[in-house]
Amino acid sequence: MIQWLVFLLFSTLAVVSGLGVVLLSNPIYVILALLSVLVSVAGIFFVAGAELVGALQLIIYAVAVTVFYVFVLTAVPWEKALKKDPFYRVEGLLSFPLVLLLYAEMLLVFLIGVSVSPKGQFREFVRQFGNTEVVGGILFSKYFLAFELVSLVLLIGMIGAVIIGRKEAQTYEGDTP
Amino acid sequence: MEGLIVWLIITLVKILVILGIVLGVGAYLTLVERKVAAHIQRRPGPMVVGWHGLLQPLADGIKLLTKEDLFPRYGNRFLYNLALVMALVPATLVFAVVPFGPEFKVFGVEVKPILTDVNVGLLLVFALGSMAVFAIALAGWASNSKYALIGSMRKAGIVVSYEVVITFAVMGPIILAGTLSTYEIVQKQIEQELWYIWLQPLAFVVYMFALLAETGRVPFDVQEAEAELVTGFTVEYGGMKFGLFPLVEWYIEVLSLSAIAVVLFLGGWSPINIPFLGFVDPLFFLGPLSPFVWFILKVSLLFLFVLWLHWTLPRYRIDQITETAWKVMLPLTFVNLVLTAVIAPVLWG
Repeated sequence: MIQWLVFLLFSTLAVVSGLGVVLLSNPIYVILALLSVLVSVAGIFFVAGAELVGALQLIIYAVAVTVFYVFVLTAVPWEKALKKDPFYRVEGLLSFPLVLLLYAEMLLVFLIGVSVSPKGQFREFVRQFGNTEVVGGILFSKYFLAFELVSLVLLIGMIGAVIIGRKEAQTYEGDTP
Repeated sequence: MEGLIVWLIITLVKILVILGIVLGVGAYLTLVERKVAAHIQRRPGPMVVGWHGLLQPLADGIKLLTKEDLFPRYGNRFLYNLALVMALVPATLVFAVVPFGPEFKVFGVEVKPILTDVNVGLLLVFALGSMAVFAIALAGWASNSKYALIGSMRKAGIVVSYEVVITFAVMGPIILAGTLSTYEIVQKQIEQELWYIWLQPLAFVVYMFALLAETGRVPFDVQEAEAELVTGFTVEYGGMKFGLFPLVEWYIEVLSLSAIAVVLFLGGWSPINIPFLGFVDPLFFLGPLSPFVWFILKVSLLFLFVLWLHWTLPRYRIDQITETAWKVMLPLTFVNLVLTAVIAPVLWG
């Protein structure tokens, strides 16, 4: 009962703030709406008993990712943030079928995922070992290859970021009079 | 149904007790800070209001509440006020996962003196801890002032750098304990008869650095920098709104992070530890109260240590602060992490 109420609260909040992300015009408000979406999704995870995923959602998306948006936006001058750019109507209309296609794909994947996911098989494990242990066990046994590949991709991304960041320093050194 | 009601009542009482302690103690810590600072500088400090200035926080509170509420002309009022809420709420929420003592029985009901013992407690602490960035960035941006914006960007840079460091620093104790739940970590330290500071001195030092940086204490209070930035991101705030930011940053956050440090490194509510041999309890005469007293004692010692640093050291430049984070602290935590990962299986098979 309480679980349903809390779920309803968080999901309504997530949907409303999701609308806010799309419709608000002030970029700072958009960031705040995005933050609200992410926090309420984390709340849904907590209600569902997926504590680890909820905490990771908070620490990675709500904090680490959104902070960088805030960083960028606080560097935007005050007047520019308030200026209203016209909406891209033609582009929006053209991209609409693509958006529909993406949503259809997400729906398809979701339905397939629901039909093949193990029903209640892990519940006993989770109760016995705890959230973190079960996720770790599955990650390092069944999905080990995928996990390693993802970490490799992240490493490449990090090296790329460092290289892009360094380039500017080198050109400055060459420019010394 | 009866179980639900009992649970609700217990939770409500816990919330009220924690809120009361945090906000009440937070207000009185202003007096402690002024007294300690005064005695470090060989002056008496507040002496007029009450005995040795004991009522000074109340007088300050009344003064701040009755001040005129100023607002910068071209600021954004909604975000300006929202920043206050976003500063106070996450900082107070951290106390939901701080264990104050061992389980005890009241009227036949088992009570754990921790609001929620989630098994990812520590992750929550750091997620909520870094939510402070939003409040600071918003406060700086909504004030529509260059000083506030520069101050908030400095602070955000510091918090982002040290958030990474602090997360890696606590990995050592987590590996040794094998759990993320704060309550369980203390239990493990009591079972293994070992405060983790004995095996993780490096991690503790790094953690203390990160604590000072995240709470904006000296030597990392460059976002405040009275001389160049007036008071950083709080320039445009007045009255109690101005009072709230230091209250949150300097007292509530320092308290919560010290409590987490005590939980991780100093064995929570356990008495003095001799590594691998056992515990010595000079406060045994207090009986069942002794664990709570130990916990409060350790947290206040850490807090006083932070105060001592604050009124002794000069401050770093912003580039020195972030350089220390990425070039010194982060590699140190990596070394510590690898060492711990090697040591832990040897010690506990």
